[in-house]
Amino acid sequence: MKRKSRKLDEILEIPVELSTNTPKVTVVGFERLLIENYRGILEYQEYFVRVNTYIGIININGFNLQLEEMTSDDLLVTGKIDSIDFETITDDEDT
Amino acid sequence: MNSNNLLQYIKGYVHIVVEGYYIERFINICNTKNILLWNLKKENSILLRACVEVTKFKELKEICKKTKCKIKIEGKKGVPFVIRKYKKRKFFIALFLFMVLVIISLSNFIWNIDIEGNTNIPKDEIIFIASKQGLSTGKLKGKIDTKQVINQIRLERDDIAWVGIEIKGTNAIIKIVEADKKPEIINEDEYCNIISDRDAVITKVSAKNGTPLVKEGDVVTKGDIIIAGWMEGKYTETRYVHAQGEIQAKVWYSSTQKIGLKETVKQETGNEESKYSVKFNNFQINLHKSVPKFEKYDTIETNKKLKLFSNFYLPIELIEYTYKEYQETIVIRSQEEAKKIGEERATTELLDKIQGKEILDKQVKVKSENDFIEVEVIYEVEENIGIENKIEI
Repeated sequence: MKRKSRKLDEILEIPVELSTNTPKVTVVGFERLLIENYRGILEYQEYFVRVNTYIGIININGFNLQLEEMTSDDLLVTGKIDSIDFETITDDEDT
Repeated sequence: MNSNNLLQYIKGYVHIVVEGYYIERFINICNTKNILLWNLKKENSILLRACVEVTKFKELKEICKKTKCKIKIEGKKGVPFVIRKYKKRKFFIALFLFMVLVIISLSNFIWNIDIEGNTNIPKDEIIFIASKQGLSTGKLKGKIDTKQVINQIRLERDDIAWVGIEIKGTNAIIKIVEADKKPEIINEDEYCNIISDRDAVITKVSAKNGTPLVKEGDVVTKGDIIIAGWMEGKYTETRYVHAQGEIQAKVWYSSTQKIGLKETVKQETGNEESKYSVKFNNFQINLHKSVPKFEKYDTIETNKKLKLFSNFYLPIELIEYTYKEYQETIVIRSQEEAKKIGEERATTELLDKIQGKEILDKQVKVKSENDFIEVEVIYEVEENIGIENKIEI
């Protein structure tokens, strides 16, 4: 069932982040980072933000990090971003 | 920063400070309950600053209880708070609204009437006709029927070819085009006499049509018939015609000037003094107290209407009085000088009438009295006279 719908999406060229719960991470310059399709915030400090998504965790390191805009779908992080890294969760752990 | 910053400002928002150990949980709960937070900033590990809508603040308090956080308002921003602030200054708001109302209502009246395009017709006459039809200063704009005013002006004045009224702001501009007064034209097939229009001595009469009743050298007075519009033949009876012809006559123009041998002459000293007063409609307030310090002076009055912007006239006038001092000096003239001055003045007075005509003779008569002389200048001029006059049968 899942496979069929994926094929249909491919034929219709629907973006992956719309058809599935895959997060979309956009970095604008070095000081703005937009995460769409996120689940929640695990940790928030001035120098460290840990964001939970459906397929893993995104870690953001930097200074003066600010959550400028927060809706249930998008999260805009601004501030001096040093590094971004991802922790992938295997399917077994997720379910 | 926030895409709907302005919208948030209109709705009103508060800066909050959240203190506690479970701030991440607090944020996540806000998120799931659809409470929009923005400009989140963690000051240190237990302190968070953020912005939130005013209406959602109560819900935040409940969440804080759950997560064992403390919440505090640090600042309020937005339109609702501004309104609340000005609610205390009722008088200010009332006056402000009153001013706006006054300006709006005043702009519905005509405060100034301008007349454009007139050279011979005095402004007052047109303004008088317009005011009879309801177009005058202080009248409501909506009540003015421009069409009727235009019609009335055209009915009463036959020397105006076109009238237009434009209402611009609080200004009414009456534009007119003057027409030359049409001469009374008598058709060729109608019968007419030619009569004299001034006193004169006939020098030449040539009738193309009609019977000349005067000869060369005859004296005619105003209204006399020169060429009659009928013909009498031996065999035909009296027949009426349209008289035509050319009449040349000597005409005299004279002007008398009285010149005093002793005369006081005004001479401005250059000293000036200005005083102002303000006029509201018909109520005048003088901004000065004293009369000018000059002994002898001329007064010049200039009115200035106040206006807002370019065409919004207010019913306030500023009047400036300028006093110019002058000195009187007594000039004593000799007979010769007086005669010369008198002749000059008389000639300039007559210049208009005799221009372009053949001058036959010029006479200067001087009559001496005790302290003045009378100078009479007479010009003898040859010109065409005679106007057509319809015969009523």
